[in-house]
Amino acid sequence: MKKYVLGRVIRAIIAVFVVTAIAIIMIFTMIPRENIFRDDTAQLQKLNGKPDDITIYKNNKWEQLGYLDFVRQAEMCQTESDDYDACMIVNEHTVVNDNGIETKEYTYSEEGEKVIEAYTQKGYKVQYFVYGGFYATKDYSGLEIVFNFFKNLIKIDTPSAVQDPDNPDLERKIYIGTDYNGVPAIMCSGCEHNYLLYFDGNFPFIHQNFISLNFGQSYPTYQNPSTLDVINSSQGSLDNREQTYPNGKTGNSADNFHTCTYKATASLDHMDANKFDDNYANCKSYYTYPSMVSMSYIFGIIALVLAYAIAIPAGVAMARNKGKWPDKIGIVYVNIMIALPSLAFIYFMKVLGFRIGLPDKFPILGFDNIMSYILPVIILALMSTASLMIWIRRYMVDQTNADYVKFARSKGLSQKEIFRKHILKNAIIPIVNGIPSSIILCISGSVITESVFAIPGMGKMLPDSIKAFNNNMVITLTFIFTALSIFSVLIGDLLMTVVDPRIQLDAKGGNE
Amino acid sequence: MSDNRFEFVKMEESASEHLSAPRYSYWASVFRKFFSSKVVITMLVISAVIMLFSFIHPLFSHYDPTSQGNINDKTMSFIKPCLEYPFGTDRTGRNMFDAVWASCGNSLSIALIATGVTTTLGVIVGAFWGFSKKLDKIMIEVYNVVANIPFTLVVMVLVYVMGAGKWQLIFALSCTSWLSTAYFIRVQVMIIRDREYNLASKCLGTKTSTIITRNIMPYLTSIIVTSIARDVPNFISYEVFLSFIGIGLDVTEPSLGRMVSDYVQYMQAPSASYLFWIPVILCAMISVSLYIVGQALADATDPRTHMI
Repeated sequence: MKKYVLGRVIRAIIAVFVVTAIAIIMIFTMIPRENIFRDDTAQLQKLNGKPDDITIYKNNKWEQLGYLDFVRQAEMCQTESDDYDACMIVNEHTVVNDNGIETKEYTYSEEGEKVIEAYTQKGYKVQYFVYGGFYATKDYSGLEIVFNFFKNLIKIDTPSAVQDPDNPDLERKIYIGTDYNGVPAIMCSGCEHNYLLYFDGNFPFIHQNFISLNFGQSYPTYQNPSTLDVINSSQGSLDNREQTYPNGKTGNSADNFHTCTYKATASLDHMDANKFDDNYANCKSYYTYPSMVSMSYIFGIIALVLAYAIAIPAGVAMARNKGKWPDKIGIVYVNIMIALPSLAFIYFMKVLGFRIGLPDKFPILGFDNIMSYILPVIILALMSTASLMIWIRRYMVDQTNADYVKFARSKGLSQKEIFRKHILKNAIIPIVNGIPSSIILCISGSVITESVFAIPGMGKMLPDSIKAFNNNMVITLTFIFTALSIFSVLIGDLLMTVVDPRIQLDAKGGNE
Repeated sequence: MSDNRFEFVKMEESASEHLSAPRYSYWASVFRKFFSSKVVITMLVISAVIMLFSFIHPLFSHYDPTSQGNINDKTMSFIKPCLEYPFGTDRTGRNMFDAVWASCGNSLSIALIATGVTTTLGVIVGAFWGFSKKLDKIMIEVYNVVANIPFTLVVMVLVYVMGAGKWQLIFALSCTSWLSTAYFIRVQVMIIRDREYNLASKCLGTKTSTIITRNIMPYLTSIIVTSIARDVPNFISYEVFLSFIGIGLDVTEPSLGRMVSDYVQYMQAPSASYLFWIPVILCAMISVSLYIVGQALADATDPRTHMI
């Protein structure tokens, strides 16, 4: 059994990496890279009329996102030339053409030409700025992009992580200390994070910063924070609360001191000095509303409980009255739910809800009002009842002809007892298999419902990122959704063996 | 009793060869079973009418979603459904009757082509998959990976990567879904392939391909129809959803999903809500009727239901 589980885990990890790699290669090579700037008009408009600045901005972004390696003249001269100053010379000539229009032409020193030649040899494409100067770019191949992505994916925080020339005496150690609330925590000096392991009142209560995943930056929507921060950090406005600062003073602040990371000495200001006595001053803030992941989770879990609460009794009733009217009504319901496009169903429900005064979009009443949650939760629950009901009915009907049921009947047990105590227990086993994936996949949210109701959750994130060409976010979500689905299926299989010890996953039976 | 009251009967050798079983024809039974339900006949008529309109009407109307010829003619905008404009007109004076059928035709053809590709590929691969143990080892690993990735994710990422368009969408929809059809068929093939009559066939030296096409496929008809009945509404649903959120078809192609998303603003407007409800209801009618017809056909094609 252990060997089997280990094999499954290894295969699952490989599968997640293969799927992510395919997604990365497709996204980076098949989508025109100009597209990512389509939603970044604000920045590009600022640079309007400065073609060189636009070139620099775009190439810098592409380099950040991992498309290419971008080097400018200064960097090229530093690495390839012995005579930096000679290499940097740009000669400007004014040329008058036949129509009397003046244009400028630029030539470069011998040293400069040598550097250009060297970079061309290395496979770079050397280009010239409109107003003089040159730069070189080298596109990464699909495999290089994948390699770079996975190389940077896992970050382990160690006491030697921080490199700050202004702070040479920084202590480098991991120690057990107490946080600003007096709760024990594993802390670090010299690491990127101040707290490596800490406890607080937020789910899942124990948090660690030893290992962090780095999927790159979010761009062009939600610019600059890492993609994981975008989906993980809370939303809304700053939530100021009375807090004790790490240096012992008290005050009103929205900073979450557990999340503080190192801030270079050069950029520390008097605001930081007010709260902190060390360099760990780069903190995330508390916001009033839950993050996208929590949002999807809140909706998902409530809907899931509701769906099971509806579907199990309904499925049992259908099986018990097989062929009679409860069964017939149930089958009509299930067929309609399966056949009806989800979009049509959501809108039918939305209008019904609107008639009785529920808001038709989440942001209308917002996070604080319970009315915002009712309609999406009911829709989510009803959408998953159909398949649950039909499976429960199926399993129960199959069980009714089993020998143990006939025996129970001959013992004189009532029909009700047989259904409740014997059949349901056996019929629920295959249903148990699906529970972990339903719970875990709540994180991914429901793409359709969240889009229609404009709920700021994970499900809406995927179509939004696709429309905005936020490549890193699409890759992050692909990785997360794939990993969660694959592992939740594994957990479901394991749970089934716990519920029913007769089931052996690694048995050599079945089809040899 | 005298002997002359008896007659000599000629002995017929062939009479002993006849079996006194009722005449049975597979397809006649399928038809009888299929047309025995009034609900199914109604649904068949509904889906046939919708299909005829969707595929024939656009041939005459030449509807172009990008042209807005009547945009400056205020008398043309927001005409409620009447005889001349059975589905009314929208703000820019477009005839909704043309728009709806062009969209339906497009959505239906996407779903039908994707189902066709999925089923053909799935059945062929599934049949050989069920037979070959070597192939099984590779395919089961591939299946385990692909089946665990959320389908929405696959479709959305593929559409994103390949860009908007009808054929891109068809590719995205059928790219991984054929695998689950193939798996479905594989399991059935495995159940049937080791039955005695197949072993006998094998002993007599029949080729694997002949065993698959002659001995096994007829058993799979109802299973294949079931999978088709499930796929068509599913694909319509996906196309509508993807076009609705704006990553399915591009603006130049009419689609039910795009209509829904364009006219969702009129949902609550009492004077123009028909713009929104007509495509939504039509989209519901198409998939429900096709699903019920498909299910009935699947039941009818299963020989076990033919016993009287």
